Amino acid sequence: MAVLPAAAAAAYQAVANIGGAGAAGGATTSGAIGAGAGDFSSFLQGALKDGIGTMKQGETMAARQVAGQANVVDVVNAVNQAEITLDTVVAVRDKVVAAYQSIMNMPI
Amino acid sequence: MDFTTSLIVAASGMRAQSDRMKIIAENIANANSTSTTPGGDPYRRKIATVNSEFDRELNANLVTPGKPATDMSDFTTRYDPGNPNADAKGYVKLPNVNALVEIMDMREAQRSYEADLTVMDASKTMLSRTVDLLK
Repeated sequence: MAVLPAAAAAAYQAVANIGGAGAAGGATTSGAIGAGAGDFSSFLQGALKDGIGTMKQGETMAARQVAGQANVVDVVNAVNQAEITLDTVVAVRDKVVAAYQSIMNMPI
Repeated sequence: MDFTTSLIVAASGMRAQSDRMKIIAENIANANSTSTTPGGDPYRRKIATVNSEFDRELNANLVTPGKPATDMSDFTTRYDPGNPNADAKGYVKLPNVNALVEIMDMREAQRSYEADLTVMDASKTMLSRTVDLLK
C-alpha cells in the first residue's frame, strides 16, 4: 500500500491530538466520539455501545411486533436504524484499523 | 442526523395512512350494516382525518392521524318488509357509505403510503451510499 508521507504525518498528528485531549481531560471514559475519548479502543467501545443499543432497540421492536403490540412501520424503522448504525460503526472501524496499519507499516 | 429525521417523518406518514386505511376498511365492511332495532339508524360513515404536528425534538412536522369525523349525510332506504329491523312502513335504513368514494379514498391512502415508502427508500440509499464512501 502506498502511503504518502504527508498523509501519514497528518494522521500521526491527529492521533497525537486525540491522545493529548484525553490526557488533559483526565480519566478516559467511553462515550461520544471526541468527548474525552482518550484512545482508539475507548472510541471504538463507545461507538460499539451506541450501535449495540440501537440493535437492541430493533430487537425489542421485533419482539413486540410478534406479540402484536407494535406497528410494522415502527419495527421496520427500528431495524433499519440498527442496520445503518452497525454499517457506520463497521465502516469507521475498518477505516481506522487501515490507518493504524499503514502507520505501523511505515518504514522508519 | 438529517436522514434519520426524514426516515422518522416518512414513518409517521405511513402510520397515519395505515390508520386511515383502517377507517376505510370499517366503512367498506359496514356498507350493509343495518340497525339492531326496528327503524333505528344504521352504521354511519366515518371520515378519516390527517393532521400535522410539529415535533420540537426532531425540528420537523410529523403526520398524526386525526380524530375521525362522522359523515352526517342522509341514509339511503330500501323497501324490505321481511327484515326484522324494518320500520312500520317496511323500509330499512342503509348506511351512507358509497363504495366508489371509499375506493377512491383507499387509492389515495395507498398512493400516499407508496410515496412515503419511496422517500424512505431514497433516504436510506443516500445514507448508506454516504457510509460506503468510507469503504
